[in-house]
Amino acid sequence: MGFVAVVLVQVGFAINGYREPHKFFAFQPFNESSTWRADIVRVTWDGERIPIDEDWDYDWDSLVDTNALAGPQQLRHAYMGVGATVDFLDDALDWVATHTPADHDTRYLEARVTYFQNTRGPHYETLRSVERTRT
Amino acid sequence: MSTIAARWDALFERTGSIRAVAVLRIALGPITLVHLAPFLRDARNGIHYDDRFWEPYAPWMPKIPGSLWSVLLAVGAVSAVLMALGVLTRLTTAVTFLAVATNLLASQTHFRHNRTFLTILLFGLTLLPAGRVLSVDAWWRRWRGLPMLSDRVVIWPLILLRIQVSLVYLASGFSKLIDPDWFGGLVLWDRVVRYKYTLDPTPLPEWGIDFLTWRPLYWFVAPVAVLTELFIGLGLWSQRTRLAAIWAAVLFHLSIELSASVEVFSLVAVAALAIWVTPSTRDRTVRVRTTTPGGRALALAVRLLDWFGRFRLEEPASDEPWLTLIDRDGTRTIGQLAVLGVLTRLPLTFPLAAPLLAVDTWQARSRTGGSDDARTSMAGVR
Repeated sequence: MGFVAVVLVQVGFAINGYREPHKFFAFQPFNESSTWRADIVRVTWDGERIPIDEDWDYDWDSLVDTNALAGPQQLRHAYMGVGATVDFLDDALDWVATHTPADHDTRYLEARVTYFQNTRGPHYETLRSVERTRT
Repeated sequence: MSTIAARWDALFERTGSIRAVAVLRIALGPITLVHLAPFLRDARNGIHYDDRFWEPYAPWMPKIPGSLWSVLLAVGAVSAVLMALGVLTRLTTAVTFLAVATNLLASQTHFRHNRTFLTILLFGLTLLPAGRVLSVDAWWRRWRGLPMLSDRVVIWPLILLRIQVSLVYLASGFSKLIDPDWFGGLVLWDRVVRYKYTLDPTPLPEWGIDFLTWRPLYWFVAPVAVLTELFIGLGLWSQRTRLAAIWAAVLFHLSIELSASVEVFSLVAVAALAIWVTPSTRDRTVRVRTTTPGGRALALAVRLLDWFGRFRLEEPASDEPWLTLIDRDGTRTIGQLAVLGVLTRLPLTFPLAAPLLAVDTWQARSRTGGSDDARTSMAGVR
């Protein structure tokens, strides 16, 4: 039974990879040659939109510390696939918004994502973090 | 129906040698260290995975405290060394697997296909008594005068591991086969163009770089890559195609290593080829006269490089040729074909010897009109 279960779980993950952007445990490496970039801004409580590389006590690359999301302002290869990258970016915005306690000005973070899926595009998507509590 | 049931039952009773799996165990120790190194570096600097962006795979999954994570990594690294040495092998293999698996599952940001592949292999090792040979455990047993444990064990976990490894190639190959962008070469071509800057400082001439970034080339290269992957996944199962599949796999992983950053994937994948070695030892005999320089060199190569324990070395009788290879079915080969036959069964010389043997065998067959005794007759001429 265990033998069959292990094989079925692996086959299940492989099939799930066609539905799920990260393709976790599905063994579909190098699946795309897509590119992406994002303009990420901090939207303050008074409505100002400040790019994350300006006037901030934090550094985006250090906070996220994953190659997939580093240097978002440059057009970069989405080596995990563009779906996984955008999904990660969405989660990372939430994480950063809730793990930057010294920032008292920001209401939420917003990313305007531009991507090319296997050279086709551009496609656009806007992501927004959870709203922070005013301190 | 009863035949299927009988074969299914027989699968769980089949026994074989654990020797090749022990070689895999030894290889996976240092590979695990290489894999854990960047995480250990962070942990040593007091940086835990949850100090940076991380994301659980599912909301219900328990969060591993960062301090526990760093202890687990250290334990995993020590355990990997002990596993490779074969010290308390079953325990250290299980601990190594747990450390690698826990790190992989700690955060979505830790996910990589190569790390999953490593975890699968470690899981397979936990199911097998891989410390019975080539281990401190075995040496310690011998030193204490205890009877040695047989290297023959029930091998259903090896079959399971083979299925899992085969599925990795098939899943990857199939996903690319049905993707027109991949099979049509767009993905591969665009990747090469995107990383062209890494080719510029190489000694490749301008025309060579132009050729490598030439779009029509990938109408051919991409299908070949996809079909190679599928061939490896299927070809490993048949004795007739296994050597070709293993050779293709070595070349395939070498090309991936040269063209992409894949962490430990190439090392893991090449090491994993050990599971396809027929699980029996000393079932081939090499009769080699060690009074000749060639014979001495070959005997030395067998002693040093026969990691899978394929051969028994014997001195030939005075009326025998200087070299005879006796295969497991009793087939005798002599001369150059025997040399190549031996070298194809030694893992380090296999990649070069296998194509030479294929060419030699083909030439021998074509000269004898495809007769079955081509191996011995042509070898005899030589």
